[in-house]
Amino acid sequence: MAADTPQSHGPDAAHTATTEAEHGSGGLPQFQFQHWGGQIAWLLVLFVILYVLIARVFTPRMRAVIDQRAQTIAGALETARQVQTEAAEQAKAAAAEVAEARTRSQRLASDARAKAAAETAERSAAEEAKVADHVAKAEARIAAMRDAAMVHVGAIAGETTSAIVEKLTGKAPSAADVKAALAARGAA
Amino acid sequence: MADPIHQFQIVKVVDLPDVTLPLVGLVDLAITNSHIAMTIAFAAVVLFLTLVTARPQIVPGRLQTVGEGLFGLIDNLTDSIIGHDGRKYFPYVFTVFVLILAMNLLGMALAFTATSQLAITATFAVVTFALVLAIGFARNGLGFFLLFWPTGAPLVMRPVVGLIEFFSFMLRPVTLALRLFGNMLGGHVALKVFAGFVVTLGAMAAGGGLGLLGIPGAALSMTMVVGLTALEFLVAFLQAFVFAVLTCIYLNDVVNLGHGH
Repeated sequence: MAADTPQSHGPDAAHTATTEAEHGSGGLPQFQFQHWGGQIAWLLVLFVILYVLIARVFTPRMRAVIDQRAQTIAGALETARQVQTEAAEQAKAAAAEVAEARTRSQRLASDARAKAAAETAERSAAEEAKVADHVAKAEARIAAMRDAAMVHVGAIAGETTSAIVEKLTGKAPSAADVKAALAARGAA
Repeated sequence: MADPIHQFQIVKVVDLPDVTLPLVGLVDLAITNSHIAMTIAFAAVVLFLTLVTARPQIVPGRLQTVGEGLFGLIDNLTDSIIGHDGRKYFPYVFTVFVLILAMNLLGMALAFTATSQLAITATFAVVTFALVLAIGFARNGLGFFLLFWPTGAPLVMRPVVGLIEFFSFMLRPVTLALRLFGNMLGGHVALKVFAGFVVTLGAMAAGGGLGLLGIPGAALSMTMVVGLTALEFLVAFLQAFVFAVLTCIYLNDVVNLGHGH
């Protein structure tokens, strides 16, 4: 309000018509008590109206929207929590499935391995038996041939002995003597 | 230089006849600049709260965020200071807060600040004090006087401390009124003084010659005005908040008498 009148310098300056004439005794205008009544009355009127409006209209509206928001947030949180637990359950189920599949496949693999090992063992056993049979037959043949050879060894030794003795002594030894000598030597 | 006190002068805008009311006595019904400032503040508050709550959104817009911020500020205050009974007193504290805040902030924009009138701040203070007294006697009966009986003090000291408590209690409306009044008065006087320096020193500089020395002074004063304006916005909010906090504390004294002490 200071800018309205340039002559509002001194306390004695001639003011415009209204109550400004009362201003001038020095001191603050706030202590001009003739203005108090009207201000206080008007403030009380405005205050009461505003109080009623705030208490009856604005506060319930505000609380409603704030409560609604709190409910919305709580609901969303609840949903999120449910989804999370569901997801966790699904993850657990999936993990269990994977573990089961793994044990199944491991069992399958070990079964296959065992079967293959058994087959191999069987086949090698059969081969071994065949080979052993061959060996046995061959040994038997060798033994027969050796026995046959051994039968002739006595006769050859006897003939050889009598031939040697005849050469040395000039007369053939008797067959019985040769036979005894050979027996003593273990040749026949 | 303009008189820094002149801004507080009550000016009759529309003169109406005086009436004599029962109880109150002679009341000048004239519509003054103070009435207009109060009414604009009131209308601004109603408009603001209407806009904020007219179409409330779950996800608030900008204006609604501001409104709910103020609402939540005072709601937390009443809840934390008064306790679960606080909601009952919330409308009163909120009314006081927004009305004082609107008047303080309008004082930054208008030439007249309603809360720099002692009549206004005293009314707020007396209404709050009367409410505290009324609630005190309504809830506690004569037990209200236990407020002045310091059970924590030694027995010999209790009457003395009680007397001091009583006087400090009776001084509450005075301090409430003077704190707000003084802050608004001082801030606006300081603003006006520095703004006046700018004009005076600027006029000196315009005269040329030695008057050019006034330029740095005017610049410094201008800086002060800018800084003080920012500070006054802070004070405008803070004083409204302080008034609300003290209102809560005083209400808590009588609402929870005997529990919290």
